Amino acid sequence: MSTVDAEAMLVRVQRENFSIDEEINRVRNRSTRIGGIATFLGTARDRSEDRDVSRMTFEYYEGMAQKKLREIRDRALQDFDVIEVLVLHRYGEIDIGENIVLIVVGAMHRADAFKACKWCIDELKQITPIWKCEHTPDGQMWVEQHP
Amino acid sequence: MTVTVKLFGMLKTQLHHESELTVRLDQGCKVDDLIAAIQSMNPDVGDLLLKRKILVSVNHHIAHGETELTSADEIALLPPFSGGSCTSGERTSYVYR
Repeated sequence: MSTVDAEAMLVRVQRENFSIDEEINRVRNRSTRIGGIATFLGTARDRSEDRDVSRMTFEYYEGMAQKKLREIRDRALQDFDVIEVLVLHRYGEIDIGENIVLIVVGAMHRADAFKACKWCIDELKQITPIWKCEHTPDGQMWVEQHP
Repeated sequence: MTVTVKLFGMLKTQLHHESELTVRLDQGCKVDDLIAAIQSMNPDVGDLLLKRKILVSVNHHIAHGETELTSADEIALLPPFSGGSCTSGERTSYVYR
């Protein structure tokens, strides 16, 4: 796989589910200097604001969403003492319990990996044009959130 | 000139499930003029734009009122994002789909 292809795999918006092991290995294999890997996995829960949720749908802005995720990876690599960062978000219909979003950060030391991982997911929520619609007994509702 | 404006999330619901909006503007118009035009078409959406609860992006960049528009620009209205996970107390509103 070329360098460009390998880097493209580190920032993705995709419909299909992903393997957490494969994604961790994608980061692990980038450097033998990595001594700690922190992950954040967001999953679909069945309860929201006292309502049952049966499934959810994510919509994203093609092009801009990928651009923002690339910015997040680039800034994390620049601003934190980390070696590699993977940012992955799903779109489309997602059932309860399924994976939604994954951040994987590889660093020499765990403290840097944890800090960068938290920053990445917080930043993703603020700047990435992705929208969630929850399917509830009251109907389908777009969810607005502010950090 | 005519510009096409992409719509997402709850905005689609508010604008009759359309994924795009076509707006006629004078040449050399700015984002503020687009907002004024949308305000006259749909005051509810216009108010959200004026309060900056909905942002305007031009060519994948968040635009300000003085940003000039051309018919070749890719323009979108961006309601509040909800990607990733959430913690309790973050939700501010629901909009039925």
